[in-house]
Amino acid sequence: MKKLDLRLFRMIKNTKGQYIAVLSIIITGIFVFTAVNNSAVNLKDSINDYYDATNFADIFIQGSNMPESLENQLIGSNGIKEAEARLVFDTKFLTGNDDDNVNVRVVSVHQYENKINKLFMKNGKRILTGRDIIVIEKFAEARSIKLGDEIKLRINGREHKFNVSGIATSAEYIYIMENEQSLLPAPEKFGVVYVEESYLQKINGNKGGFNDIVIKLNTPDNTDRTAKYLEDKLDKYSARVIKRADQLSNNVMNQEISGLEMMSQSIPFIFLLFAGVMLSVMLSRIVKKDRISIGVLKAMGFTNDEIVMHYLKYAGSVGLIGGTAGSIIGTALSGMMTNLYLMFFSIPMLVVQVYYRKIIISIILSFVFCVLAGFWGVKDILRINPAEAMKPESPKKGKRIFIEKIKIIWNHVSFSWKLVLRNIFREKKKFVFIGAAVAITCGMMIMTMWMTDIMDLMFNRHYGEFINVQYNISFNEFKSENTMKEFSKLINVKEMEQRVEMPFEIKNGKDSKIVSVIGLNDSTKFYAFRDINNNALELPQDGILLSSNLATELNVDVGDEVILKSLVKDDDHSYVYVKGIVNQALGINGYTNIDFLRGKFLDKGIINGVYINSDDNVTDKLKDIKDITVLSQFDMKDAFSEFTAMTAAAMGTMVIFSGLLGFIITYSMTLMSINERALEFSSLRVMGFTKKEIFNMLIRENMIMSVIGIIFGIPIGLWLVHYMGVSFTTDLYTMKEPVTISGIATSIALTIVFITLAQLMTYAKIHRLDFMQALKNRVS
Amino acid sequence: MSDTVLKVKNLSKNYQMGEVTVKALEDVTFEVEKGEFIVILGPSGSGKSTLLNIVGGMDNPSDGEVYFNNELITKMKDKELTYYRRNKIGFVFQFYNLMATLTARENVELAAELCENAADIDEVMESVGLGDRADHFPSQMSGGEQQRVAIARAVAKNPQILLCDEPTGALDFETGIQILKVLKDVNEKFGNTVMVITHNASIADMADKIIKMRSGKIADIIINENPISPERIEW
Repeated sequence: MKKLDLRLFRMIKNTKGQYIAVLSIIITGIFVFTAVNNSAVNLKDSINDYYDATNFADIFIQGSNMPESLENQLIGSNGIKEAEARLVFDTKFLTGNDDDNVNVRVVSVHQYENKINKLFMKNGKRILTGRDIIVIEKFAEARSIKLGDEIKLRINGREHKFNVSGIATSAEYIYIMENEQSLLPAPEKFGVVYVEESYLQKINGNKGGFNDIVIKLNTPDNTDRTAKYLEDKLDKYSARVIKRADQLSNNVMNQEISGLEMMSQSIPFIFLLFAGVMLSVMLSRIVKKDRISIGVLKAMGFTNDEIVMHYLKYAGSVGLIGGTAGSIIGTALSGMMTNLYLMFFSIPMLVVQVYYRKIIISIILSFVFCVLAGFWGVKDILRINPAEAMKPESPKKGKRIFIEKIKIIWNHVSFSWKLVLRNIFREKKKFVFIGAAVAITCGMMIMTMWMTDIMDLMFNRHYGEFINVQYNISFNEFKSENTMKEFSKLINVKEMEQRVEMPFEIKNGKDSKIVSVIGLNDSTKFYAFRDINNNALELPQDGILLSSNLATELNVDVGDEVILKSLVKDDDHSYVYVKGIVNQALGINGYTNIDFLRGKFLDKGIINGVYINSDDNVTDKLKDIKDITVLSQFDMKDAFSEFTAMTAAAMGTMVIFSGLLGFIITYSMTLMSINERALEFSSLRVMGFTKKEIFNMLIRENMIMSVIGIIFGIPIGLWLVHYMGVSFTTDLYTMKEPVTISGIATSIALTIVFITLAQLMTYAKIHRLDFMQALKNRVS
Repeated sequence: MSDTVLKVKNLSKNYQMGEVTVKALEDVTFEVEKGEFIVILGPSGSGKSTLLNIVGGMDNPSDGEVYFNNELITKMKDKELTYYRRNKIGFVFQFYNLMATLTARENVELAAELCENAADIDEVMESVGLGDRADHFPSQMSGGEQQRVAIARAVAKNPQILLCDEPTGALDFETGIQILKVLKDVNEKFGNTVMVITHNASIADMADKIIKMRSGKIADIIINENPISPERIEW
């Protein structure tokens, strides 16, 4: 080994604390990047493979009474390659326990194999005859359903028994949610089953009429045009055309992948940025300390390039080791992370790959990044004149800091505090860096706390404050208002309200969106509408209230006029005024007065759902009523509790990452201070300062910067929250909940814990420092 | 001693300190023959270190010329000066300036790795009397031992000139004498030209040539026909 390299190796050994510190930030940055990015790619590739293997539809059509002959009519027109008509409806899964409210979606399939949305068989056979049924895997697992089991469904008001002949997954139900408002999958409460088409038609009473068509296109590029064509062509069947991008399961998957991609492009770079600055500061300090050595090397005949390279090897080794370790750990974790998705997503062809190209790119990027950051730190080598370097460096110009000019304060400051304040002002860059690290740590903590709170807040805000409904009952068809009287007889009702819920296309100029519009009593007790400023909103007699994400998507404001186009009744549309924008955390909806909606689009006195609050077990009491679906808020809360437990682990990891940043930077910068100021501390020791007093001085310096960092960290955290809120707001969620005071307080407390831990670890260094040796040391 | 290895002609160096121009060197001219032991003698501030730095290719003059083996070094570019220092010059500093994280031997090897015709490391270590201390780190050595390592480091490159800036300045009398003896031995054994700058007039007695400096100018150049051995020096 060349002697200069040997010197480098021993330099690393002597500064191992700082070296490991910066290395761990690089490793964290690279492994988060590799793990998250690989997971996103794994997920994307797996889904695409799955979609290709099962010939996943490009367009989904929901309508009513669509004849099977439509299949042939559609094929060949407007880029349509294949079309398959289906029967799809939700019904009750009978468990034998009346308290257990379980629904399934029944989907008709061909006897042998479908052309589109083929089932991926996990167990059993695909061929279906008569009472054979295929159950979707997640539901089967959650309810312990096995091949050969008998299951019972209530179809067309009657109990039907089926034999489980297969367990399968479907590309259409990777993420199984009952509807947009469900928020989370609850596999034991909702599943999907597949029954042979002719048998299902027979028992359901459908004679040749289908309510669902799936379409495969020659090329997905024409999706928009074909979707428009289908909307027009199938208008008479009240068809709702859903593009693959908007299909619920696919939409959730894409949002998850986008979230991962966004995370892989933000958090790692915060770490790398700090590692870069830290490396640059560290090397500039080392170069400053090695000034005489550098002068000697130059005097001996080493070129500038050779000396710069000597120090850059320090940075390069950090990049190389950090990049390699980070990408290896990241790749290993990406496998675990991708497998974790199996808890939520049903992807049988999950591909977990090692992306060697990415590993190499990560290592190269990390290396180049560290070398560049290192060069920024060592560039002063080029300016060192060997002749000048031999002479002792002239002491820094001592100038008074601005507080000194305020005599009334300065005269009351103790000597040790004066030292603290002067040090901070004389080493501005270093302390700004510590402050910035604390600020980012605190900011990231706030974001993490917010994310921990937000799901809880969103759920409770939506289902506790916005909608206060214990039981949401939906009818499969419109019924008379008198149905409510029947319910009143069966249930001891505390509160009950009628509702009409219909799909509409809401248009504002070029912008349009298909959503459910809910017609409610004007004095509804089940909804508490509030605008985005949290002011109470009344349901207007006429006009419509739009959820805030819908208003944003349609680009409308209060007072604008939009077109409401019914998807139930042909060519029925009406112009209505937007009377308010509703702050809504979950889902995307429009709300009108029930009479206003009926007046425009329906007959008087008809409804298709009711809201009920009751102490009775409504699910049980209404079990014999045909063609209704009961959704209980209690079941949703149970599903949510399970989810909360799982997210807690993820958030814990985020807290550790955030804290690690503040911890490492404070620790390494303090360590650097101790090394550089050995002579100063030795003088203080000679004067009679104890080790503890010197340590307290260092603590005070960092404490001031930590307090400033925390103060700046709060707005940074709020900005991050805003950024995350905007990024994650979709049709499904509106993440506009504010950060809570307790969230901020917890973040500050956690930041203080990590900073204090870092401080305590440096005490050992102070204790070990040989002050007398430092005073007499003259070798460079 | 017939070949001229170094020619310094009308060398001047000015520093600007605020509005005042300080003349560190003024019209300095002298020659050095191959294998000579030169002492540049003068009080602090007389310009001797500045002269050494310019001759060693570490600083540029304001005016004048320095020729090394008839090659004009004062017009050399930075890179050429580096190679000049690498291949022709060996420096010994007052405060040794060793690499703290390298052992004595490694410090010497560091220099030897720089040039193609490096001296034999063991021989150099022996000649400075450090054979048994080669594996010690600078912090484990006395000032005199460290200065021996510094001399070995300079000699290991097989330089034509050894430039020594107050090599005994930080040492006690006895150690100082030992160091001067090492320098003289090196001068005689390896045939290097040795140029020592000092404010200690006693050291001049061991030189072949004494250049006395005062206020940036050469006050006198004395050829010492009978240089004494370092052991006989007293101060």
